[in-house]
Amino acid sequence: MADAVRMDVNLGGIHMRNPINTASGTFGNGRQFEGFYDVGATLGAITCKGVAAQPWQGNDAPRLAELPSAIMNSVGLQNPGVPAFVQTYGTYLQSVVDRGCAVICQVAGHSIDEYVRALELFEELAPFASGFELNISCPNIAKGGAAMGATPRDAAEVMRAVRPLTKRPIVVKMAPHDVAEIGRALEAEGADALSLINTIPGMAIDINTRRSRVARPTAGVSGPAIHAIAVRMVWECAQAVKIPLCGIGGVASGADAAEMILAGATAVSVGTANLTDPMAAKRVVEELEAWASQQGVSSIDELRGAFVC
Amino acid sequence: MSASGAKTNLHEFVVQENEQVAEGLWRMRCNTALAAELAPGQFVQVSVPADASHILRIPLSFARADARSGELDIVYAVVGEGTRRLSAMAVGQASTMVGPCGNGWWLPQDQGRALLVAGGVGLPPIFACASMLAQTGVGFDVVVGAQTASRHCVGYVDELRSMGIHEGCDCARKVVLTTDDGTLGMRGFVTQAMENLLAEHTYAQVYACGPNPMMAGVAKLSMSKDIACEVSLERMMGCGFGACSCCNVALVDGTQALCCTDGPVFDARRVQWQTR
Ligand SMILES: Cc1cc2nc3c(=O)[nH]c(=O)nc-3n(C[C@H](O)[C@H](O)[C@H](O)COP(=O)(O)OP(=O)(O)OC[C@H]3O[C@@H](n4cnc5c(N)ncnc54)[C@H](O)[C@@H]3O)c2cc1C
Ligand SMILES: Cc1cc2nc3c(=O)[nH]c(=O)nc-3n(C[C@H](O)[C@H](O)[C@H](O)COP(=O)(O)O)c2cc1C
Ligand code: FES
Repeated sequence: MADAVRMDVNLGGIHMRNPINTASGTFGNGRQFEGFYDVGATLGAITCKGVAAQPWQGNDAPRLAELPSAIMNSVGLQNPGVPAFVQTYGTYLQSVVDRGCAVICQVAGHSIDEYVRALELFEELAPFASGFELNISCPNIAKGGAAMGATPRDAAEVMRAVRPLTKRPIVVKMAPHDVAEIGRALEAEGADALSLINTIPGMAIDINTRRSRVARPTAGVSGPAIHAIAVRMVWECAQAVKIPLCGIGGVASGADAAEMILAGATAVSVGTANLTDPMAAKRVVEELEAWASQQGVSSIDELRGAFVC
Repeated sequence: MSASGAKTNLHEFVVQENEQVAEGLWRMRCNTALAAELAPGQFVQVSVPADASHILRIPLSFARADARSGELDIVYAVVGEGTRRLSAMAVGQASTMVGPCGNGWWLPQDQGRALLVAGGVGLPPIFACASMLAQTGVGFDVVVGAQTASRHCVGYVDELRSMGIHEGCDCARKVVLTTDDGTLGMRGFVTQAMENLLAEHTYAQVYACGPNPMMAGVAKLSMSKDIACEVSLERMMGCGFGACSCCNVALVDGTQALCCTDGPVFDARRVQWQTR
């Protein structure tokens, strides 16, 4: 029998036993999935829901609409604030790390000051975090979110403010536009890795009521329908930067994850698929490993960016 | 963790029967190990095979779950593509459901009489609630509303009349039917029938499930008489087990609860009753 393929990867200092991570906001904070499978013993990393310094109530209902091969959400980063988050999930998340799975805490804010405050609190209260993900790409909040990362200059400014606050790795979650330029700006300010893409802003109108199908006019589209777009953006970004990437967008199978890796991603997050198939992330790990072992390589690293063009 | 104490998990089910029971309403009896873990008022997230472009599971309550036989009865209205495909599932066909999801009904604080109010496809969880009360010997009356006579599930209504009576439960149970058009029972909304009952009897607890405006009306009436009221709410659901925050319910204290894990059963006094 051939030796097993090495599946472990290094996402900018976050060591992962395999490339599979979970997309923020689609995996609760891990614990919700423990009834389905042993999360800590299975995944490479989990990324928690975005958390701000203070609690946020999020947007009004309805927050969700179903589209062909996709969903649209306007959750708006409902979260309990860093202290309550750590109080509720700290012990559990430490147990995830103890089982060999990295834990990435996502940092949210409406302004540079709020990102700074949130990361300071995380730095102080969350020793279990293997690294942080800076969310400068949420399309569902009125100020901050995607607006904070809309241009290379804005994105760089946030990164510059938070970089000195922690020695732990910072991944930056990017919106689905200008990923090469913004990626370069973030790399220059010391980002350890980039994750992309966040949801794509969309609209769905109920033609009888003439209202949006969710409580806000626009919301973020995710799921299988956005996968091809996400792969293209990962490929563009991979050519622009040297830091590692986490590919996100419509990944529901090992084949989808393999595409991300061939396009240049080091890690791959499963998002919407977790909601519709709670076993999805575990299945993606298994299917990806099966694919890698058919490729005649000794390590998954050899397949990164191996797209032929 | 759910009210029944079982962890939410993925279960296979096999269709045993799937037939129309009233206009626009179907009943699926399926076999699943999950039946042993469900408490009345909880729900399941059903995956309907045959069209990969519909990615969400369908949240559905149940009318009956038999732990011994593994039979689970789901009563559903065909309102869109997902429920249409559910109605096309053949006997013997298998798929998966996630459950148990959410919290079920709570038993009344004291042993006073309960009033159950079901509107339209709110019937299944109210039927399950009635079975629970009959088993525990709590007396209750029921109001069941539908748009028109052909949309009433006659079989379930008959069972509501007789269930538990032989066990020495309350024999003088009232089961009041209403229709919007007066083709069966009282003409009007369930809230009007409820007002009549409230004028004649004393109730310790109200349980309600149905369209949102109906539940808002039932909640308002209950609160005005200072009667404890539990409602089972519906929201679009992404996951059904607390992972996505898509199913928020605005509470009077200004916070947002999750329908799938904090509910679907809520104390009516905690809910902000505005309708969009
Ligand atoms: C906890 C819970 C328990 C439920 N129990 C039952 C039940 O026992 N029997 C039953 O018939 N229905 C029940 N529903 C409603 C059922 O989930 C929806 O009718 C179903 O998802 C519609 O799917 P569809 O693809 O056929 O319709 P779609 O084509 O998706 O939509 C058709 C219509 O149904 C509405 N709808 C879609 N999803 C929901 C939803 N999650 N909740 C309410 N309305 C929705 C849409 O707004 C639209 O008007 C329950 C919902 C919840 C949240
Ligand atoms: C319900 C829901 C909530 C989300 N919440 C967040 C969030 O809090 N922070 C974030 O950066 N992205 C959030 N996202 C975006 C996902 O992390 C991911 O980037 C996106 O959904 C694309 O991946 P997918 O197609 O695999 O879902 C959310 C997505 C969904 C569907
Ligand atoms: S449906 Fe996902 S949290 Fe309730």
